[in-house]
Amino acid sequence: MINELLFQFGQWLEAQQYSQMLVAGYYSYSWLEATHVLSLMICIGSLFIIDFRMLGLVMPNVPATTIAARLHKPMIIGFVIMFITGALLVYAKPVETIQSLWFRIKMLLLVLAFINAWIFNARMKAADGSWDNDALAPKPLRVGAVISLVLWCGVVTMGRYIPYDWVDCTITDSPTILWAAGCVEQLKAL
Amino acid sequence: MLNSLLSQYTRTLSAVFVLLLIVVLELFEVRISIYDNSLSYFEWMKNSSWLGILGTTYGSVYATVQAVHLLSMAVIGGTVLAADLRLLGVVFKDTPSETVTRGTHKCFRVSLLTAVATGIFCAAGVADKVYYMEVFWIKMLVLITGSCFVFLLKQPLLNSRPHSEIHPWTLRLLAVTSLLIWFTVAATGRWIGFS
Repeated sequence: MINELLFQFGQWLEAQQYSQMLVAGYYSYSWLEATHVLSLMICIGSLFIIDFRMLGLVMPNVPATTIAARLHKPMIIGFVIMFITGALLVYAKPVETIQSLWFRIKMLLLVLAFINAWIFNARMKAADGSWDNDALAPKPLRVGAVISLVLWCGVVTMGRYIPYDWVDCTITDSPTILWAAGCVEQLKAL
Repeated sequence: MLNSLLSQYTRTLSAVFVLLLIVVLELFEVRISIYDNSLSYFEWMKNSSWLGILGTTYGSVYATVQAVHLLSMAVIGGTVLAADLRLLGVVFKDTPSETVTRGTHKCFRVSLLTAVATGIFCAAGVADKVYYMEVFWIKMLVLITGSCFVFLLKQPLLNSRPHSEIHPWTLRLLAVTSLLIWFTVAATGRWIGFS
């Protein structure tokens, strides 16, 4: 049911003039992709510095909350650009992207990364400031930092897998993968 | 006098020497000769080296190494942004710039090493294509320039004295140059993928 709705939504997007223009333009898609990757460097680069600080790997002599507060703005700016360009990349190739298993795993990991970030922030605010100058953050925050690193590594890796066609709807015949990737037409044909 | 100058500015003089060497090599068309002769090496990288064989045989391994390359570039981006924006007085205004530049440099070195190692693997898999790409050679040139800039000029200068004793415009110039260099490395790397 959800797969069919997503497929119809993808087809509706693909029929739009601007979606076709983005793919047809010689440079437009490449510029979008380049901006997406470069903004990823700003967003994930800043995020990783914060996570590394919690683990005592970067600037251990600077209070952890100072690093988190100062890098918050560049991280959010990078994220906003990354989100807009990412949405436009999906808009340019909606059906292909919506039916990509890697894209779906990427979205799932993104949601998990957001939940983790929310818990991480709540824990950081709840903790008293006594640890702020320590090289290592308290254990719950270190665990949060490791989870954040793992999830974002997963997001980038899945993003890198999207252009590859190993499990595309037209290639795979595994019902589980076809269902997970939302290959509606291929599932009906089985 | 000469000895004191040589000992005081060893790294700066090394950088000048490298630049002069590039000019001389260009004048005597050594670069073109190296380019022509390196084709066989690139073909060997793609077809015979274990890096090239691994990259072309296992697509998933190639894509995963590409992701590690991207992640290490992201960490380079993070460290460069933190250090250079501090030198420009945009972020970490309440933290000494010495602390930020020294604190991020180790992480920068490790991620640069990872990016270079994974980059060699990625290039080996498509060595016969990248050899003919102008953008690939531009990236290599900017990468070498960037590495020389960081290790021979920027860091030695920043570590030589308190930053308050360095002219503010010198610090700003260092930061802007560094940002431009690493942005170009990342952008040209992305462009290789499109070509």
